[in-house]
Amino acid sequence: MVAASTEAASAVSPDDIMFLDGITKDYVTEAVTVHALRRVDITIKRGEFVAMVGQSGSGKSTMMNIIGCLDRPTEGRYLLDGIDVTHRSNDARAVVRNRLIGFVFQGFNLLPRTTALENVELPLVYRGVSAGERAKRALEALESVGLADRLHHTPNQLSGGQQQRVAIARALVTEPPLLLADEPTGNLDTRTSYEVLGLLQELNRKNKITIVLVTHEPDIAACASRVINMRDGRVRSDTYNEAPVDAHQALADLPPVEE
Amino acid sequence: MKGFFNAVRLALRAIARAKLRAALTVLGILIGVAAVVIVVALGTGTRDIITGKFATLGANIIFIFPQSTQSSGAKQGTQNRMTEADGEAIAKEALSISAVVPWNVAGGQVVFSDKNWPTQIMGTTRGYWDVRGFTFAKGQSWTESDEQLKSKVCVIGEAVHEALFGTQDAVGQYVRIGHYPYRIVGVLAKKGNSPFGEDQDDRLLMPIGSFRARVLPMPPGRVMTLMASASSELTADRAVQQITDILRQRHHMQGEEDSDFVVRNPLELRRSAEKLANGLTAFLIVVAAISLLVGGVGVMNIMLVSVTERTREIGIRMAIGATETDIMVQFLVEAVTLCMFGGLAGTVLGLGFIAAVNVVADLKMAVPVPAIIAAVGTSAVIGVLFGFLPARRAALMDPIDALRNE
Repeated sequence: MVAASTEAASAVSPDDIMFLDGITKDYVTEAVTVHALRRVDITIKRGEFVAMVGQSGSGKSTMMNIIGCLDRPTEGRYLLDGIDVTHRSNDARAVVRNRLIGFVFQGFNLLPRTTALENVELPLVYRGVSAGERAKRALEALESVGLADRLHHTPNQLSGGQQQRVAIARALVTEPPLLLADEPTGNLDTRTSYEVLGLLQELNRKNKITIVLVTHEPDIAACASRVINMRDGRVRSDTYNEAPVDAHQALADLPPVEE
Repeated sequence: MKGFFNAVRLALRAIARAKLRAALTVLGILIGVAAVVIVVALGTGTRDIITGKFATLGANIIFIFPQSTQSSGAKQGTQNRMTEADGEAIAKEALSISAVVPWNVAGGQVVFSDKNWPTQIMGTTRGYWDVRGFTFAKGQSWTESDEQLKSKVCVIGEAVHEALFGTQDAVGQYVRIGHYPYRIVGVLAKKGNSPFGEDQDDRLLMPIGSFRARVLPMPPGRVMTLMASASSELTADRAVQQITDILRQRHHMQGEEDSDFVVRNPLELRRSAEKLANGLTAFLIVVAAISLLVGGVGVMNIMLVSVTERTREIGIRMAIGATETDIMVQFLVEAVTLCMFGGLAGTVLGLGFIAAVNVVADLKMAVPVPAIIAAVGTSAVIGVLFGFLPARRAALMDPIDALRNE
């Protein structure tokens, strides 16, 4: 046990934002045991833009939950930004989520009847940042996603693309090293999808933020610099994409909208 | 502390979003608190009225009446043997007694010019004013020499003055009782009804000697009632015992023999009346407390619904870094805020009711400040108690399941 952990620790480099070592997740029900993940090893370096693809049931959602510190693996070790978060308590993992991870969901997951500004401020509330500082940083985050003119709109007054940008601003406002996007374009049309992807690529390039994006659409995955393909709880392929699709370019290449 | 203010702000907003539901939810608390406030005010008010009524009898007064005795089962005729000398002996020997006055009474007509008025005519001594707590609105008491000379002088009560003289000044005027004219030397200040319903202003008083000589002839020194003042409320019970001992000795009562007098201490009556009022108040407070409890269950019910409805919100908050404590505090504060609203609204309702009753029934019920503090405090405690289960349920949610919830 001691030897194993020393070995694992030695394998971790400061450049690695994420180090997954033999991650296994079993769901035990009365009738059967489902092996959602079977000894997965993944290392992601800082500044990568990783797409995680796979059919439903491939284990990518389980993977996402474990990476996002929302779930614990049955076995294995998970180091996030050099911290072993595998066996942390619920509250400790809440703090880790707040400090190290920004979430972007398929369903946007903004608080209803709450303005864009307040939604973006929310992670800072749980960090104990003062109201003035919160508002300032939330404003900056919303400006960076191009929504400076929508501060006081509530989610139902915003389009799907705008809502997802608010969600991205909320993920960015804490300046986390890792951004997790779970099917971020799943509810968006092609044009808006490319807009959002363009924004993510920009953040990855300019802010050097690591992005892990889960999708089942090959077109979306093509925008990432690395594609991890999952099947039956295992990594089937892990390939680097030397020439990822530029989302802004792809948007420009789309046929014009028919009015 | 900062987190707490945030939680309060959140709670206020969540409540503001569903005002009608919040209002209906806190109805039980509202009624409970209003009931507590009203019941306590009524209870305190009743006690004040009782105390005030008894105070009109005179401070720490004790009554001594003659009583018929029984001998070998046969009731003997009422044979009043009580005398002024008994009173003097009590005044002298009973340590806990500060004053004793004799008192005789008879019904009679008082005539002034063409008016006449039926009233109680009483014979007593000048100590009566202090013992019964009477003051003079006009004029003054008769003098010591009036008592010795059995002068034809009198003091009248407010009601008699009103009936015979109206707004006219009565002092110095003469009224006729039977065959004799009496000069009015004083008019008593208004006092109102006694706790026994007797009009204490409808009376005419004169020196007891004058009374025995001309109004109701009696053997010298004989009295119908002695009125004594105990030196304080604390010594009243002891005073009763002293009076009993002195009179039994003076009347040569043996061992188990029944006394030929009875000593009445209105303080006992007051105590039992107050006890009754307190008991009733306590009972009603219990009923009101049950309403508070039921209100608390209502709050718990709605908070459980609210937690279920906001499962997704809880999931989002957890995903972006809310700890279990954060979520717990959020819902606890919401429950407490809800209950406090109910408590404050109930207090306002209760105070409104008290003010209305004070105006309508011409009472002076005081605002029961301790009861208000207790009731609002209790509603906060109810918020914590009944908010705990829903808040805990929210805090222990699995963020993955919560986020998946539609």
